Amino acid sequence: MSLTATAAQNALIAFNRFGLGAKPGGPASIGSDPKAALKAEVETAGIADIGGSLPSYAKACFESQQGFDRAEAMRQLELNARVDKQMSVDIGFVERLVIFWSNHFSMTVNKDDAVRGTIGQWERDVIRKNVLGKFGNMLRGTIQHPAMLCYLDNADSVGPHSPQGQSSGDGFNENLGRELMELHTVGSGGGYTETDVTVMANILTGYSYVRGWEADGGYNGGTNQNRGKFLFRPTWHEPGAKTLMGKSYSSDGAQQTLDVLNDLAVHPATAEHIAFKLVRHFITDEPTPAMVKKLRNKFIATGGNLRAVALALLELPEAWSAPFTKIRTPYEITIAQYRALGKRYPDDSTWTFSEPLNALYNMQWESPSPEGYSDDTPRWLSPDAMRIRVDIAQFSSWEFADDYKKDVVKLAKSLFDSALSKNTNERLANAGSNNNALTILFSCPEFQRR
Amino acid sequence: MSDDHCDCPPSAADLRLQRAAMEGCGESRLLMSRRAMLGITAGLFSWAYMPRFAEGATDDPRLLVVVLRGGMDGVNVCVPFGDTHYASMRGGIAIPASSTIKLDTFFGLHPALVNFGNMYMANEAAVVHATCVPLRTRSHFDCQDNLENGMPPALVANPTGWLNRLLTALPAGAPVKKAGAIEIGEAPLILRGPAPVLGWSSTWFDKVEDPLLYLIETLYRDRDQEMYDTLERGLKADQIASRTDQDDGGISDLRKAFRGAGRLIAANDGPRIAVLSVGGWDTHADQGAAQGYLGSVLAELDLAIADFKTAVGPSWQNTVMVATTEFGRTVRVNGDGGTDHGVGTVALLAGGAVNGGKVFGDWPGLGPGQLYEQSDLKPTTDVRSVFKGILHDHIGVATTLLNGSIFPDSRSTAPAMSGLVKAPAGKHETGATAPLRAEPPIARYRKGLKVTLDQAAT
Repeated sequence: MSLTATAAQNALIAFNRFGLGAKPGGPASIGSDPKAALKAEVETAGIADIGGSLPSYAKACFESQQGFDRAEAMRQLELNARVDKQMSVDIGFVERLVIFWSNHFSMTVNKDDAVRGTIGQWERDVIRKNVLGKFGNMLRGTIQHPAMLCYLDNADSVGPHSPQGQSSGDGFNENLGRELMELHTVGSGGGYTETDVTVMANILTGYSYVRGWEADGGYNGGTNQNRGKFLFRPTWHEPGAKTLMGKSYSSDGAQQTLDVLNDLAVHPATAEHIAFKLVRHFITDEPTPAMVKKLRNKFIATGGNLRAVALALLELPEAWSAPFTKIRTPYEITIAQYRALGKRYPDDSTWTFSEPLNALYNMQWESPSPEGYSDDTPRWLSPDAMRIRVDIAQFSSWEFADDYKKDVVKLAKSLFDSALSKNTNERLANAGSNNNALTILFSCPEFQRR
Repeated sequence: MSDDHCDCPPSAADLRLQRAAMEGCGESRLLMSRRAMLGITAGLFSWAYMPRFAEGATDDPRLLVVVLRGGMDGVNVCVPFGDTHYASMRGGIAIPASSTIKLDTFFGLHPALVNFGNMYMANEAAVVHATCVPLRTRSHFDCQDNLENGMPPALVANPTGWLNRLLTALPAGAPVKKAGAIEIGEAPLILRGPAPVLGWSSTWFDKVEDPLLYLIETLYRDRDQEMYDTLERGLKADQIASRTDQDDGGISDLRKAFRGAGRLIAANDGPRIAVLSVGGWDTHADQGAAQGYLGSVLAELDLAIADFKTAVGPSWQNTVMVATTEFGRTVRVNGDGGTDHGVGTVALLAGGAVNGGKVFGDWPGLGPGQLYEQSDLKPTTDVRSVFKGILHDHIGVATTLLNGSIFPDSRSTAPAMSGLVKAPAGKHETGATAPLRAEPPIARYRKGLKVTLDQAAT
């Protein structure tokens, strides 16, 4: 029994717009009420946990300061575990939220081993733990994590009037302070000035981590116990009260940053910024004030409860009525292929996973800019990328499904149900080989759009 | 079946390259994917607009910027055999003067640079020695960013590249018609920013061919006009860049990319400015001397430059290629027959418009007291001076623009180098100012503007 056209379309919305793509039979299993299925996923206990015995914070920090090979081993382990988790879930809405938030605090492993070795642990212990919790906890966990302190150059930031600044002449680095305002919280146009950026950078002075050489030599309080871990360096902190966005912070030391983060995390401009980004990522390139306000108000009313905001996203009328004008990111396509086939790259051939993503500039944890991967559709739906997408669909059919013996038309029906178009169906039937048919399946608008 | 379709197994030469680089630093080892092994780490990106002052002309200036990633060992690319300390500092990787392609009584090119050497002799190639980016931290990531964003060292992090700021500041003229593919791609940082750029990648994936391609094209045509139009534009650009009437089979992606760059910027109505990115220069171990790993990589680059000249055709007379790298290597050979991250290095220039046959720059010397931090070639020319000299004399960009939006705060620290091109431009575009940071989507939303920037129609 096929679903009605409306039910199949709503199931496609659930899997493509909000999830990571259907597994065979997926639409049939949620077709009676796709929205309820998404909500049920959010309410599933432990839905964001990866489980297993992945490295602890201490272990990841330690390994990140033991040379490239050991940091890289951490990255591979974590990335494989992430892909496995994303293949295992039924729909993948929460996983999409994890990807969204990980990208919100975008970092690249190519900066330094400190990021390479700990970014997976950060995503598990900071993003996943709070993806349905409080934004403030996610923000605080990120700003106190060695990966971010390294990535945005705060580890060597010294207050000019601190004891260290006075003796060494070192100064502060404003990179983290700026991106914290512009990208992580209130956002550009959110009511802060250049002076606020400088003040923020001064507030953050002293937020650092223990570099390998400090642990090796016992410098600056470094030991083997805190190797690679977050460290507040009180003698590097710019002393005194600071005024940020019109509010005075009289606490000093490490607490000053925490007080500021508490306020920024629930600031109305932050609520608006995050509401805007969620709508833009999931639904449309052009969010309207009506859409943004609903999520913004929910964020403010709940003190930044991300579960409540995610559920409010599903309640937007446009969530179910907006046309599929966006295109899935190359990473979403990759995971959707694995889910459709029930198969991923072998552990000893990670290049079959990374090369297509490198070619389309969407390798995870490697966005070249702190802005993260873009939600501009033209950035992904571009001529060169479209050509490469089709070539990669063919590559995947050879690499992951060369032994595929089943009927691809049947597979397509089980992935899209009655949302499978007649045009696609015809071409699948006339493809001439299973590899050709899978290339068409991975290229068709039903698979690419969201 | 997948073996038939999969890219070919690496040749013995490739495996040798791979093994040599495997000895290098961990980052290089990671980059040693099948694609990186062939030397290229990113596609070609070029400006999708023709400069207004050159519209329709066939003799307007062409510029190819090549970013050599990994830190190229300038001291063994342009060998200072006349420096009395060269042989002792370099030990087992020293290249004897007799093996080099002699440029004068002091410098000689690495023997692998045969074609580049011929261009030099024909006054169509030059070297700028002892150059460096302003930042001197010896970090690949930070120094590549600095090379590409063109910022003073105190302001390393910046999300736009100097070449994109140039494009933003110049009068746009008309969009490129022939190539027709406009995108804001994940271009290398040097071209990142608000100005739209055309992207073309010489990927190694097998291309989907007819009749399968026809099935997909007509499916898009019937179901999704936007995907159809976009795919068609991409296929067309690819057709120009990797021409099917010429045999590009069996050559490396690196050479394909240089050929594609030449074809695109030579086209009458094609783009005029292009960027290529080439990896594989991080020679921590077993880099060899006259022969060996560095020689193999240089030989491939040399062939690619020759390919580029052929592909550009008559427009070679109006072309400048400049190849630069994020840093050089230590002057002393290390214990593994390689060199570690250093500072001073070379910039390579080639093209009919280059005032060639010269080694530019002041030679700092390799003696013990002459090195930078007792370790590296001391930089005597800021690489921004090289870029500024080319932009000013070749493209015709006014000094005010160069010192303002494009290379902020560089007026006194990195003045434009003169004499790099044969016939300096007579008139100069002053242009507008370009913002150092593009306006983010949330800022446009808050101003009530359309959030997604319109893509230029073709």
